[in-house]
Amino acid sequence: MTGAHPRRHDRFTVDRRRFLRLSLTASGAALAPGLLTGCGAPAPGGDGVGLKIWDLFSGGDGLLMDEMMDTVRGGPDGFTLDRTILEWGPSYYTKLAMAAAGGRAPDVAVLHLSRMPGYAPGGLLDPFDLELLAEFGITREDFPPALWERAQWEGRLYAVPLDTHPFIVFYDLDVAERAGVLDGAGRLIQPGSPGAMLETSAALAEAHGGAGLLFGHVTDPAQNWRIFNALYAQTGAAFDLPESGPAIDTDAAVRVVSFLQELFDGRTNPNHLDYFGALASFTESRGAMIAVGEWELPTLRSTGIRLGAAPFVNVFGEPAVATDSHSYVLPRQERPDPARRREAHRYVAAMLRQSLTWAGAGHLPAYQPVLAEPGYAELDPQSSYTEAGDLAVLDPPAWFAGSGSLFQDRMSQAIQPALLGRASAEAAVDRMVRECADLLDQPNPVR
Amino acid sequence: MSTQASPETVAPRDGGDGGVPEPSPTAGRSGPRQRRSGGWFVLPFAVCFGLFMLWPVVHGIAMSFTDESLTLAGTSFVGFDNYVEAFGDAAVWNALGNTLFFTLITTVPLVLIALGMALLVHTGLAGQWLWRLAFFAPYLLPVAVVTLIWQWVYQPDLGLANQLLNALGFGPVGWLSDEAVAMWAIALLTVWWTVGFNFLLYLAALQSLPDTLYEAAALDGAGAWRRLWSITLPQLRRTTVLVGMLQVLASLKVFDQIYILTKGGPNDSTRPILEYIYDVGFTGYRLGYASAISYLFFALIIVVSIAQLRFFPRQEG
Repeated sequence: MTGAHPRRHDRFTVDRRRFLRLSLTASGAALAPGLLTGCGAPAPGGDGVGLKIWDLFSGGDGLLMDEMMDTVRGGPDGFTLDRTILEWGPSYYTKLAMAAAGGRAPDVAVLHLSRMPGYAPGGLLDPFDLELLAEFGITREDFPPALWERAQWEGRLYAVPLDTHPFIVFYDLDVAERAGVLDGAGRLIQPGSPGAMLETSAALAEAHGGAGLLFGHVTDPAQNWRIFNALYAQTGAAFDLPESGPAIDTDAAVRVVSFLQELFDGRTNPNHLDYFGALASFTESRGAMIAVGEWELPTLRSTGIRLGAAPFVNVFGEPAVATDSHSYVLPRQERPDPARRREAHRYVAAMLRQSLTWAGAGHLPAYQPVLAEPGYAELDPQSSYTEAGDLAVLDPPAWFAGSGSLFQDRMSQAIQPALLGRASAEAAVDRMVRECADLLDQPNPVR
Repeated sequence: MSTQASPETVAPRDGGDGGVPEPSPTAGRSGPRQRRSGGWFVLPFAVCFGLFMLWPVVHGIAMSFTDESLTLAGTSFVGFDNYVEAFGDAAVWNALGNTLFFTLITTVPLVLIALGMALLVHTGLAGQWLWRLAFFAPYLLPVAVVTLIWQWVYQPDLGLANQLLNALGFGPVGWLSDEAVAMWAIALLTVWWTVGFNFLLYLAALQSLPDTLYEAAALDGAGAWRRLWSITLPQLRRTTVLVGMLQVLASLKVFDQIYILTKGGPNDSTRPILEYIYDVGFTGYRLGYASAISYLFFALIIVVSIAQLRFFPRQEG
């Protein structure tokens, strides 16, 4: 027995450490991406080494990105590019933050504009050189003013928007025609009031025989926030997160959540779908309309349904659409090489001019001159929700908010039980406010 | 055949019955030269161990006393602030409770079902290889595949689980969306996925039980139940201790399947402590605070380990 004890003890020691390795000391392992990037990064001024690009386009739009990159690779001034695709989500932003904190980040990365408040103030991004951009033909006049404004911090430009990608509705054109919810030009009549929206969805459900409006939200980290954010902005109320505490109009928020409960009543419109369930329901023609991001266009188009699209329905009066924007940023580098920086600016400019290809994914080009190109008007159904870009509502600017953030997840989780009929609208809004206050209470790690 | 090999090597080492005391006399006899050459053999592992295990542990402790952030914000010493905050953080206790609850509701079935399956297969059902394969196969799947399969099983509208309930005349269950159900759904998936390993340990142990005991018992007129209660189960005690121990530790570190399936939702009802540490450290950038929570969890593991150390040897003796 005496012999047994120490050996047993040794084994436990190892087990404990295995735990540590998994939990806390993951920090060591997680540093690896940053370190590896560092190893692979070219020596300052190293010629012939490709521009390192990070992006998060792994779906259908990733292929279009490939196409655009292939185009700019060609020609006498072609770029040498080294692309890394990482999966969208919290981990992308963790990796990017770590790479930038380490100072050996890629030359150009894609960032959701809504995440910029968590990056620029902490010094994780380097600003763009406006003169250099102008030299390559890119100026502020090329972008919607609100978007350009949002890409600024302390008077400097930290992001160059490539697109806006709003949360919109797609619908089966045949059903919508039968339901009589289209105007003379074949466009969706915007309801303009909660009652009218309920009637629209009921008419769609009746014409279809299945569901009116499909929406997947169960266990999704963003969907509920997207739909709430759009509707709440339509009420005209402000959702601000100053450090003194959340400034939210709870009456307006309760009105929005109550309306969502009424809309997704489980009869006319199902309330228990998850993201892929809703997509599958629409592609299998079990519903007439789906509320989803425009990035699902390539998926939905492959179904053969005659597809119509419109900016997310206006219910509360003020036109507003929940949006984000894929933007190019220059992650912080310890010793940026001026030649590579120049090349990075040239690359961003060249990619913006490829925006028409990008629009094929469903995204709305941020680079406005593309909208005037003849090819753009022919893009269907993209051209029918172009105005959504002008009605853009991003997340409230806070270090913890934005695409793939804890904030969106917390908000979505707070709303979910209300839609499932397990909590009241008031309880959901209370929880949202509480979660916001909790997030604001945390020490700001990027300042 | 390989199924027999592994437990034979595992069981005696774990049993600690004094059957393998040879190494110590050998070590005692070895001269200094021999010991020096041994050092070289150990060196590669020792370096890795030091770099990737010891150093992070030490560094983590140091980090837990700072407000270190994943970003560039300055790091300053904050004393026990992080620990004080963790003790007052309801989310920590909630997540810890979830982890313990998960451990409880997975360990018990994972031991009992594995034992039951092993006993059934061992009774000599026809086509033993098929049962063995069928029970063990899910264990070979990577976590991403398992969660993908179960995501569709639990899918609220089209999923197999709700379709079955529907066919039986029951209403749909919010497998992953109902706070009262979600953790059970994840436990069910986990049992399906990992029970095969415990099953294999039990089966191998069963196959190595000496026939002589059963022959003697049969001569004395013991029936099948008697033999199960008085021979098989007591003989399996060491394996049960091993399986239970491994299982508690495996369940305490649950993360992957929950993270992929529910991200800890709905309303944090499935968020385990490791996910909270991950959320705080890697999504919220607060490495210092995340480290402090890790060490609180570490303390809990030590308590569990000590409890096991005290409890199980006594039972064996």
